[in-house]
Amino acid sequence: MRGFVTVAALAAASLGAFAQVPAGYPADYAKIVAGAKAEGKVVIYSALDTKAAAPLVKDFNAVYPDVKVEYNDMNSTELYNRFIAEVASGQGGADVMWSSAMDLQVKLVDDGQAMTYASPEVVKLPKWAVYKNQAYGTTYEPAVFIYNKRLVTGAEIPQDHASFAKVIESNTAKFKGKVTTYDIEKSGVGFMFVVQDTKYFPGMKDLERGFGATSYKVYSSTGNMLEKVSSGEHLLGYNVLGSYALVRAKKDPNLGVVLPKDFTLVLSRVMFIGKKAQHPNAAKLWTDYVLSQRGQKMIGGEVELFAVRDDVEAEYTASKLNKQLGGVVKPIPVGAEITEYLDSKKRLEFLGQWKATLAAGGGK
Amino acid sequence: MSAVPSALGGGGPRGASSFFTWRALTILTTAVAVLGPLSLIVYQSLLTAPFFDARKTAGFGAYAFVFADEDFWKALRNSVVIAGGMTLIAVPLGAILAFVMERTDLPFKRWFEPLILVPSFVSPMVLSFGFVVAAGPVGFYTVWSQDLFGVAPWGLYSILAMTVIAGLTHVPNVYVYASAALKSLGSDVEEAARSAGASPFRVAMSVSLPLILPSMLFAAVLVFFLGFELFGLPLVLGDPEGILVLSTYLYKLTNKLGTPSYHLMAAVAVCIVAITFPLVLLQRKLLQGARKYATIKGKAGRMRELPLGKWTGLALFIIVAYLFVTVIVPISGIALRAFVTNWGFGVNLSEAFTLDSFRYVFQETTHTRAIWNTILIGTVGGALTVACYTAIGFATHRRDDGWSRLVDYLVLVPRAIPGLLAGLAFLWIFLFVPFLAPIRATIFSMWIAYTVVWLAYGMRLISSSLMQVAPELEEAARSVGASRATVSRKITLPLIRPGLIASWLLVFMIFEREYSTGVYLLAPGNEVIGAQLVSLWQGGAIDIVAALSLINILLVGAGLAVALRLGVKLRD
Amino acid sequence: MAELTVENLHLTYGTNPILKGVSLTLNPGEVVSLLGPSGSGKTTLLRAVAGLEAPHRGSIKLRDRTIFDGAAGLDVPAEARNLGLVFQSYALWPHKTVFDNVAFGLKLRKVAADEISTRVKKALGELSLGHLSERFPHQLSGGQQQRVAIARALVYNPPVILMDEPLSNLDAKLREEARAWLRDLIVTMHLSALVVTHDQSESMAMSDRILLLNNGVIEQQGTPQQMYAEPQTLFTADFMGSNNRLAGQVAELAGDQALLKGEGWQLRGRAKPGAKMGAAGTGLIRLERVRVAEGPGDNRVQPELKTSMFLGDKWEHVFNLGATMLRAHGPRALSPGKHWVEIPREDFWVF
Repeated sequence: MRGFVTVAALAAASLGAFAQVPAGYPADYAKIVAGAKAEGKVVIYSALDTKAAAPLVKDFNAVYPDVKVEYNDMNSTELYNRFIAEVASGQGGADVMWSSAMDLQVKLVDDGQAMTYASPEVVKLPKWAVYKNQAYGTTYEPAVFIYNKRLVTGAEIPQDHASFAKVIESNTAKFKGKVTTYDIEKSGVGFMFVVQDTKYFPGMKDLERGFGATSYKVYSSTGNMLEKVSSGEHLLGYNVLGSYALVRAKKDPNLGVVLPKDFTLVLSRVMFIGKKAQHPNAAKLWTDYVLSQRGQKMIGGEVELFAVRDDVEAEYTASKLNKQLGGVVKPIPVGAEITEYLDSKKRLEFLGQWKATLAAGGGK
Repeated sequence: MSAVPSALGGGGPRGASSFFTWRALTILTTAVAVLGPLSLIVYQSLLTAPFFDARKTAGFGAYAFVFADEDFWKALRNSVVIAGGMTLIAVPLGAILAFVMERTDLPFKRWFEPLILVPSFVSPMVLSFGFVVAAGPVGFYTVWSQDLFGVAPWGLYSILAMTVIAGLTHVPNVYVYASAALKSLGSDVEEAARSAGASPFRVAMSVSLPLILPSMLFAAVLVFFLGFELFGLPLVLGDPEGILVLSTYLYKLTNKLGTPSYHLMAAVAVCIVAITFPLVLLQRKLLQGARKYATIKGKAGRMRELPLGKWTGLALFIIVAYLFVTVIVPISGIALRAFVTNWGFGVNLSEAFTLDSFRYVFQETTHTRAIWNTILIGTVGGALTVACYTAIGFATHRRDDGWSRLVDYLVLVPRAIPGLLAGLAFLWIFLFVPFLAPIRATIFSMWIAYTVVWLAYGMRLISSSLMQVAPELEEAARSVGASRATVSRKITLPLIRPGLIASWLLVFMIFEREYSTGVYLLAPGNEVIGAQLVSLWQGGAIDIVAALSLINILLVGAGLAVALRLGVKLRD
Repeated sequence: MAELTVENLHLTYGTNPILKGVSLTLNPGEVVSLLGPSGSGKTTLLRAVAGLEAPHRGSIKLRDRTIFDGAAGLDVPAEARNLGLVFQSYALWPHKTVFDNVAFGLKLRKVAADEISTRVKKALGELSLGHLSERFPHQLSGGQQQRVAIARALVYNPPVILMDEPLSNLDAKLREEARAWLRDLIVTMHLSALVVTHDQSESMAMSDRILLLNNGVIEQQGTPQQMYAEPQTLFTADFMGSNNRLAGQVAELAGDQALLKGEGWQLRGRAKPGAKMGAAGTGLIRLERVRVAEGPGDNRVQPELKTSMFLGDKWEHVFNLGATMLRAHGPRALSPGKHWVEIPREDFWVF
């Protein structure tokens, strides 16, 4: 009797769920949906703050009202710490890990912490954004320059990396103590950016010397940099995360944003499902949603990050960016190569050289 | 004459032994709660990877790295300089303020008192941020000063500024101890000085303050401790110039190697504890010296205030100046920031006015929950915490044996560990100790971490209250037949009630502004404002930070005002 | 049977010996004073009896119940000894009313509430405190606080009441009156009391027996009359009463008669134990025994008058006998210059 009831229930559930399977998905996706419903919630650890993610969560719930989203935002280091501690203690924790620290995410995947799940949306993603069908790049956030509109004008506004270096080196007096970027010792994202810069920008050393000459100011938080440039305490910002900068610039008449014309690095927030996830089906549902057109539309729209998919119509999309900048966009690949500098020796070496060049420039 | 049986039958071994067991239990719990996280940290410092990582190996590599790093030595030097400087500022100023507020007839006392305490319940990070907005290179006050006077001669991003601000913001801590100690001085010693011809200032310098010297030395050592754990302040003010202190150095280590390096952080924490241990020994010595100052004797008397006369103007000036620099400047900065969309050179403030930040805060459940949790942990949690501290206080009261010494050391150790790392250690404990796991995501885990981390602080006030009770009052009770337990309950406890309530207030304030310890324990459901501010600030939502901070300040201020009105008196 | 028996009590603070073998007995209805200078150990002894100090050798018994025995390792805690203890500072609990202060001991003994009320009111009444029962200690005068402290110690009828300097916190006038009624109270209530005091006249007025302590041992004990009139040691003689001390050499010694020779004077007196022929000796005579005489005579000297002080009921004259000061009492003033002063033989002790 019990068995019959269960089968009947399942049948009824799958019948009802059938309506929820997104278009183009395999039929047996309904099982995942049903499973997610049974699980009831998905636990997400994310570096994107709750306020920004709210529209995304809301929309997800519009599609799947039965799956509660437990959204935890914390900075990318805590994300990593929390995850490894919880996995080691066998205590559940995150179903989905979503972080801008791309290298740390890839490391976790390499350490075998990610569930292999080939999302139906995989085929729509650019190749560099897919890693072993375990981790996916979900956004397309450029590293931009920012400047104070009132105090930096005309030719002083750097349009590319080389001119950034030139502007600050030729006018050290004006920019002394007024140039800012990430503290690459503290900020994983900042470090990653300059490593990539070194790949694409041969004149990187000039820039470093320029930083040294102007005694640049470093921070670990994007918000800080935006505040200080907007208020005029600083004048120029380098390699600031464009998603935040552009959002701020919309409301703030003091803040100006430049997408570097020689090349623009693009960061993609990496998402993966934890291997030991306690709500695997819900996690899959979420991942697929974020990678789907609908989710990407939200990301490029209300969430004010950039959608990574080409085939999405929104205010901020990869395709728009690509068109704006031509071929100069350099997305950081979701792949093993970016974990190169997680090796302590290499990292310390890089940092040592960086500091030496700064000193040579005559600053710090 | 009838023979009345003695209160405890013949010999009383039963009464004594149950008291002993209670004492043993308290001491054992304390030891576990303190040594657990500490031993985890020490263990971690001797490994090369997180302790739960299968690939870890043992060794001193962590220490080798740290000692070879010149940043560590720079940070150490800066920490010592700032800690020392702030102690030199906070202790005299706190003592003088306490004297003026407690023992003189200064006008407007009722208004000043809550205001003086404000810096101690504003999160230091928020305060620093407030200073930046108000007095930074393009701060409101800086700009106004430049417009009015042509100069703004202060440099906020310097060790000097950090020391001064740290010193000023720690004045309330000293003030609370000083006023508690002054409260129990008989006024006769001061009147003797007055009749010999001493001005109120002289009285303070020669009589009152020397008499409360033990409490002051105590407070000095604790403030010095706190200097090592400063985190928010150097983070906001030190970053721009690359000025590192031990805690921000530790924070930097988090990412320096790419992946979080717990072993390095643990090694630094162990170094910090090694530095502060001599301070613990010092404090113990000070405690012994303080014993001879017990003054709540059986002979009760009224306390009379010293008239200030011509010194009133100076006293008022000192207080107002202190309040202006420490309270009004940064808080006005925060308030302004909460109500504008942007600021800085050339921005017309009236155009930028908005209420959006506040609207957002009250709509968002994580924030409203944080507000509610913070109130809860401060009031109910604070009361529970004081109860725990009192139990520990009694376990060491009037017993000068090895166990009491052990508890003294135990109590002071957690404060020597940076809040950041202490919070992480607690997370590990809640994760890896099976029966504690279910409470990890509840506000209870937060409460445990807070209570242990702030043992030194809350307990000191209780201990000094206990110390002030003359032994004779307790001996008299024993002579009429009360067991030690009854004496504690019926005599000592009622007599230290003002001290307990003051402790509760202090604990409330500390819990409200706590931010680093809870960072790692944060989970949906147990958010508290402080830790939430850290993550918001990291994410760049400065306007929300300002709005939430303002709400926090107002909440706590309201709580403080209510408490003081209801008769929780920090004076009288 | 004695109410309290202390045998060979030794007590040390750290490395500092305070009591070096003290024994005493307290009989029913007796008032015994522990007298001595500060540091003599009298308060320590009292507290040891109360159970607030821990001796390491000796024994203490209440009637036949042993409450301390160093050899057997027995030390009954203070709260189980059922003694009454009155502190020098009264130690009234400031957070309790007078009534509650006194009632506390009874509450601990689980006496019924109405009985407590009766007994407390009775105790307060006996000490003229009835109208103050709802006041708090800080609202009372010193004398009132003292009486409350006493009431508190007595209300549960302990066999022995211990008092630590009960009168020293009162002002001089009150002290004289208090002496009388305190002894009266103890006697009327048939109590046995052990009282610590540093004031010898107080101890003589109040007690049946006096124990004089000197540096942790009992120098001498006896009735007040014995202590005053028959001191066995110089210390005892000097401690009791107001005295003149004359230093000199023992020139003659026969039986209980001695001759003390000083600078330009010699006097005969009663030899006390310890006086040795040919050795240095100290002569001692109570102030009130010295008489100003008309002229020369037996055992008289002729000192120079230095000054006289009017004390209301008598004059005190200060003479210079050579380099030594000699004081005497007299009914009238004296003219400056030399006078004859008599040192009666029976009252002059030579140690």
